[in-house]
Amino acid sequence: MRQYFKNIYEAIATILVGMGVTWRHLFTRAVTVQYPHVKRELPERSRMQLFVEMDDCIGCMACQRACPVDCIDIKTVRAGKEEDLGETSNGQKKRLHVVQFNIDMGKCCYCSDCVFPCPTGAIRMTPEYEFTTYDRSSLLFKFATYTPEQISELQERERKEKEAQAAARAAKLKAAEEAKKAAAKNDETKSE
Amino acid sequence: MKKSNIPESQFELQVPESLKTEEMTISMGPQHPSTHGVLQVILKTDGEIINSAKPQIGYLHRCFEKHAENITWHQVIPFTDRLDYIASMNNNLGYVIGIERMMNLEVNERAEHLRVVVSELNRIASHLIALGTYGLDIGAFTPFLYVFRDREKILDLFEEISGARLLYNYIWVGGVAYDAPEGWREKVLEFCDYFEPKIKEYNDILTYNKIFIERTANVGVIPAEVGISYGVSGPSLRGSGVNFDLRKDDPYSIYDRFDFNVVVGKGEMGTVGDTWDRYWVRVDEMVESVKIIRQALENLPEGDAKETVPRNIKVPAGEYYMRTETPRGELGFYIISDGSKMPNRVKVRSPAFCNLSVLQAIAPGVMIADLVAIIGSLDIVLGEVDR
Ligand code: SF4
Ligand code: SF4
Repeated sequence: MRQYFKNIYEAIATILVGMGVTWRHLFTRAVTVQYPHVKRELPERSRMQLFVEMDDCIGCMACQRACPVDCIDIKTVRAGKEEDLGETSNGQKKRLHVVQFNIDMGKCCYCSDCVFPCPTGAIRMTPEYEFTTYDRSSLLFKFATYTPEQISELQERERKEKEAQAAARAAKLKAAEEAKKAAAKNDETKSE
Repeated sequence: MKKSNIPESQFELQVPESLKTEEMTISMGPQHPSTHGVLQVILKTDGEIINSAKPQIGYLHRCFEKHAENITWHQVIPFTDRLDYIASMNNNLGYVIGIERMMNLEVNERAEHLRVVVSELNRIASHLIALGTYGLDIGAFTPFLYVFRDREKILDLFEEISGARLLYNYIWVGGVAYDAPEGWREKVLEFCDYFEPKIKEYNDILTYNKIFIERTANVGVIPAEVGISYGVSGPSLRGSGVNFDLRKDDPYSIYDRFDFNVVVGKGEMGTVGDTWDRYWVRVDEMVESVKIIRQALENLPEGDAKETVPRNIKVPAGEYYMRTETPRGELGFYIISDGSKMPNRVKVRSPAFCNLSVLQAIAPGVMIADLVAIIGSLDIVLGEVDR
């Protein structure tokens, strides 16, 4: 019997202690923010949406290889000999037309593994997080700036070039081998 | 006697020999709110009493082990995040240290300290969720909101250092992905100062609440032998009074340098190994984690945390079993390498899976409502049970 009342007393007492905690919370400032109206500033490292600075991309495909879920799809076309595509912001020469640079953000797992191997810092994560869409296909982000006509033109040129190259390859190979031998000889003479 | 014209009863009153009852099969889950994810438990009940409980798993199977065989060593790290998504840092750590030991890689001191800090922060975050959802299972809603408020602070710290809030991909082979930003150390210390009084608040509102104690003490007792024989580990085993913590017993990283206690259940409110003990171990472990964080930050050396990150990960052929103490228990990675750029096999020994298996042993004889308390106290994460 005594135990019974003691239990009741303890239950009420501990509830009151708990109530005290909640009571004190009434007078603290709310920690929630009213999201669409108030937006929190995200730290600059936030990994939200990928962005590619196409002017800086040299088409090396390091990011594509690093991605664990294969959501980056790059196609490149070799630039012509006398074509000058300019330089990236850190001074690397661009040798490839990046005709396609698609990132499927629907597949992306935001691991940012693609960001680190990039030699020019072209691909990076941005704190941009509001890119919800109604359609899954619009999560396929296309960064390349080439028009379809330009692409087919470039690809046609590449195909022709390749044919020409194939014809010249045998000769080239031979020449390369000879050059190598010569170089080896040169090296020998040098080291002596 | 006047004869009534009512015919005499044709029927004799039949007294049943005993009330006919049947064993009932109930499937609890996979959408049950207290199963912490997509777990189904097939219950055979006699009224309210459970005769047997069988966990059905596999609803969240994502083929982690098969994936790991087809991607490079480094690419596995984001996948380990997704095992136990509440404590991603600790998962990264286990896998990464396994590889480092296979490669004989020395890790930069600053990176080691940062690793310990983030792992312990993640341990606190994970235990907070365990506390909050446990209160929710028992019927206390308020603590849930409080712990999420405080966990949010940890997530903000993580966002600042790694850029992500849940799946960090932060701990890398040979170091960490980013060095700590300016002022991060002070922010963590600030958080420690903020957090310690909060633990008392949780105790006031939940831990020592009489109703909570009545619901949890003497319920779902796991005797130490049973726990050990089922391979239970982590706070669930320490709740049974077994002093087993891999941070002390098989030190990895730089845990051997820190001074902290291993919390074990003492049966303060009832029997040793009941659900209250398991809950209490988690609460007290947060205090210890704060201690470790303070020590690690005190001696945080200067330097470049990314110094020892190798460009190419070349793991020599061989095999290694690496076990670490995650908030759920002993997380083991059994890694086999054939010297190529992909793992040959990565087998995960997941603590939540082993902890869940003990349910069959302790469930018979308890009430359905108590089963909810038991599952909550085991603190399983289905992502890790099913992998
Ligand atoms: S963030 Fe990760 S998943 Fe997304 S594109 Fe980069 S490497 Fe691929
Ligand atoms: S790694 Fe950088 S430079 Fe190379 S293809 Fe990707 S974005 Fe372009």
